Amino acid sequence: MKTRLAILWLVVGIPLLWGVAKTVENALKLFQ
Amino acid sequence: MTGSLLDRERTVAPAGYDRFLIPPAALAVHLSIGQAYAFSTFNLPLTRLIGIDESAPGDWTLAQVGWIFSLAIVFLGLSAAVFGRWMERVGPRKAMFTAALCFGGGFLLSALGVHLHQLWLLYVGYGMLGGCGLGIGYISPVSTLIKWFPDRPGMATGMAIMGFGGGAIIAAPLSLLLMNHFKTATTNGVFESLLSMGAIYCAFMIFGAFIVRVPPAGWQPSGWTPPAQRPALVTNANVDVDTAWHTPQFWLLWGVLCVNVTAGIGVLGQASPMIQEIFGGRVSPTAAAGFVGLLSLFNMVGRFAWASTSDYIGRRNTYMVFFVLGMILYALIPTLGKLGSVTLFVLAFAIILSMYGGGFATIPAYLRDIFGTMHVGAIHGRLLTAWSVAGVLGPVLVNYIREYQIGHGMPKAQAYSVTMYIMCGLLLVGLLCNLAMRAVDSRYHHRGIDVANPSTRTA
Repeated sequence: MKTRLAILWLVVGIPLLWGVAKTVENALKLFQ
Repeated sequence: MTGSLLDRERTVAPAGYDRFLIPPAALAVHLSIGQAYAFSTFNLPLTRLIGIDESAPGDWTLAQVGWIFSLAIVFLGLSAAVFGRWMERVGPRKAMFTAALCFGGGFLLSALGVHLHQLWLLYVGYGMLGGCGLGIGYISPVSTLIKWFPDRPGMATGMAIMGFGGGAIIAAPLSLLLMNHFKTATTNGVFESLLSMGAIYCAFMIFGAFIVRVPPAGWQPSGWTPPAQRPALVTNANVDVDTAWHTPQFWLLWGVLCVNVTAGIGVLGQASPMIQEIFGGRVSPTAAAGFVGLLSLFNMVGRFAWASTSDYIGRRNTYMVFFVLGMILYALIPTLGKLGSVTLFVLAFAIILSMYGGGFATIPAYLRDIFGTMHVGAIHGRLLTAWSVAGVLGPVLVNYIREYQIGHGMPKAQAYSVTMYIMCGLLLVGLLCNLAMRAVDSRYHHRGIDVANPSTRTA
């Protein structure tokens, strides 16, 4: 059950983290 | 065979099922449909399908293309309102699966429209069919999450609705990545990108549909018992969806949501030109794009943070914070602009946008407090018509008042001040609606069997 939990959260977490990273990269331009 | 796999009975979780396996199902759907907020990345390329690098004769105009998103938001509200009751009856899996087919199908039909250069196919595809996918997908995990997390309904629904905010920040770079990948001398890559995104989102939403589970009848988290003494605004009774919208509480909450969304959505749409005009010359278009990105992040984080906070301070108090703090911040914006403080200006709008997202994410738990869990998803669906109205009202207020002011000779840097004060007035209306909230009269309570939870008689 724990492995399944980790896999499911990774499946949704990885795209979300990718989106956050891209947005932060863009947002940082405001302070440059 | 497929029909039976999608039935509510096939989705009942076995004993000992970990409830934290449910939020990823909700997130898979909301991360997908959140793409809607990034649809504008296709707007300009859609006006250059013939000319590729710039618009050519016969290409669609930006105004024509703009209707695709507007139609999608209108159909989101309509389908959430119309299909909410059906969704409660058939369960989350069938609803999510239907949403996946509608949303993915909308992309495919739109891709065909691009290929044949027929704009009406995009209106019907992404606008109408995709809009139905948005509406059904948005409400489908809500009541399931509330039933799995009776101890933390705000956190649970906040997590899902955070996904809608997150969907936009994934889709914006993804759309650009795909269009750049597929771009050639003869195509700007829109057709291939729409086709790919339709397939990706459809598959991701179906993944969500097949991992979702409903709790067995009468299930409660281990070690948790419902509090004997509930706060005044939290009911243990249920109100039927068709009865709910005859109560004053439904319309007060409709007003609360409409005002909160109106105040945020207009700003979100005009964020880039607004910061550039207020700080004329000091904020470049690139930095302004960064500002928009930052607002999207706060919009997303606010959804989880405020909805989770509402579990501790109560739903009404959370909205009191949104309205009172919102009024203070909106009233301060013109002064911050005059002071020339970009940092404080950005900080104020970041907090405002966090409360915009928080308003969306806290409303399902507020509905559950007031109307019970039985039809909370369907009632939420009907309440989302407030979003459709606010989606028109917010941008109109910000854009038209700005144009009117500039037309009457006001400098661009000051043209937003009146809008900000109007937003304060709107938030005051929301505050009054929230203050007027009382528990639903017992004559409205449901006295039959909860069809989604047949072992439970209510009231």
